[in-house]
Amino acid sequence: MIDFSSPRHRSKFGYLLLAPAVLLMALIIIYPILLSVDISMKDVRIARIGKAEPWTLKNYAWLFGSEEFWNAIWVTAKMVLMVGGTALVIGLATAILVNQRFKGRSLARLFVALPWAVPEVVATVIWAWMLDSSFGVINWALLKSGIISEGIQFASNATASFYSVCFVMIWKGYPLVSIMLLAGLQSIPQEQYQAAEVDGAGVWQRFFYITIPNLMPVIGVTMVITTLWVFRDFAIIHVLTQGGPIGATTTLSILTFEQSFSFFRMGQGAAVGVVTMIICAVISRALVSRFANSVH
Amino acid sequence: MRNHSLLGKIGIYAAVAATCGLLLFPIYWMFITALKPANRLRDFPPEFWPENPQWNVFADVLNSQPFGLWMWNTVLVAIATMILSLTVGTLAAYALSRFRLRGGQGLGLFILTSKMLPATLLIIPLFVVFRSLGLTGSLWSVIIAQSTLIVPFATWMLKGYFDTIPPELEQAALVDGASPLGAIVRIVLPVAAPGMAATALYAFVISWSDFLYARTFLTTSESKWTLNMGIATLKGEFVTDWNVIMAASLMAAVPIVGVYLFLERYLVGGLSAGSEK
Repeated sequence: MIDFSSPRHRSKFGYLLLAPAVLLMALIIIYPILLSVDISMKDVRIARIGKAEPWTLKNYAWLFGSEEFWNAIWVTAKMVLMVGGTALVIGLATAILVNQRFKGRSLARLFVALPWAVPEVVATVIWAWMLDSSFGVINWALLKSGIISEGIQFASNATASFYSVCFVMIWKGYPLVSIMLLAGLQSIPQEQYQAAEVDGAGVWQRFFYITIPNLMPVIGVTMVITTLWVFRDFAIIHVLTQGGPIGATTTLSILTFEQSFSFFRMGQGAAVGVVTMIICAVISRALVSRFANSVH
Repeated sequence: MRNHSLLGKIGIYAAVAATCGLLLFPIYWMFITALKPANRLRDFPPEFWPENPQWNVFADVLNSQPFGLWMWNTVLVAIATMILSLTVGTLAAYALSRFRLRGGQGLGLFILTSKMLPATLLIIPLFVVFRSLGLTGSLWSVIIAQSTLIVPFATWMLKGYFDTIPPELEQAALVDGASPLGAIVRIVLPVAAPGMAATALYAFVISWSDFLYARTFLTTSESKWTLNMGIATLKGEFVTDWNVIMAASLMAAVPIVGVYLFLERYLVGGLSAGSEK
């Protein structure tokens, strides 16, 4: 028996404590990543372990030649811009609002970010009901206010479906942006605002010359997180539209799942997934270094 | 921020009320719909406050057989995930906080990787592995998969807490003849309790919200479904009883919203600390 309390064996004890975590990661993250790359290079429908198949680039050839893949890239890009942009605006506005000094501020902070705590599936079914074509409250409000004269078919109209998914994602996504930007706002030194006020800077000038530059690093991080989340999200789209109608809401993530578990073409599904992973890695690197540069 | 004039104050309260009203309307609508009698669901214009609230809808949902079962499964999965990821995460975090270990920086890389990894890609190999192990259709498949994605983040959060605890505390215990593990369990963990609670709740929230793993690994065995799986399936049915779905959704949301309301400051602190790294 090794005496772990003796200095000689101290670091062995450290590695022993680390072992379960490393083992779990190796089995459930590292090995599967390698396995998925392996599957993506095999012409298989339902992959099995220990079945030798020759490697081929067939799946990647299918991928780059297929309309579905390019459509999924386009849908994902549109969704990232739409959700990221809107979540940033709402998140920033709410963060600034609850950063003001007033009684009941901590309660307001709690409520403003409440959708964060609603599970994605629950959020999605609530919106599915509100967006119901015949009896949904949103169509009622739009009709009542005279914006539209006929109910919008949120489920069957491609554009309307796309925006429905965006609404749910924005609603689920803005609270994290708000929470993190609020933390960012609180770390801006008050002296900067006071000095600017002495110099006669107005509200908007202070906003654009002090608040925004100071927040830039946090904005960068939140946008990377939101982008990766939109790329990876499955629950909202799958429950709301299943990727339809005719691919209007099929993101890369949905295409990966659809190929693998609806059509049981795991080789092709894994190929889509591997490409998605590479895109995510490139985006997070590019955005992180760009925002890091803009600070210095 | 400066103090505001009376007019400014009224303006702020109006803005806060309007913002919360608009942003939280979906939650209100879930609540109201759950209470509506089935024959008033399709009223147009809709009722904004039910004249005749049906409070028994919650009991009905729970008594209808699969629902109680799904809820039970969800609780089981969440608790098991919490215990597994917290145990593994605590050990790893302690090691990284107290020892200079080679490869310790790999943790940051793991967090980044697990954030970048498209989950729909990960489930393909996991499905293959779990099926060959006979784990598909078992709650363990979901527990193991969730824990693994939570462990890097939990380790990071916990390491932060352990770093704030002076190592002299357990060194004193070691001198008094405690075993290294005993020193951790009896000295360090009680001091780190708030941080551990926050991390445990984070794991609970993530596990409770899972849909993808349940949808992939448990789909063919209805008796093993979780709440989210059940709700999503109810929504997909041809005739949709929205009051039942909303009541079920409300019950699925309440534990998480409760956790959030009571422990917001810890969760938020951990979240922004973890994600800024």
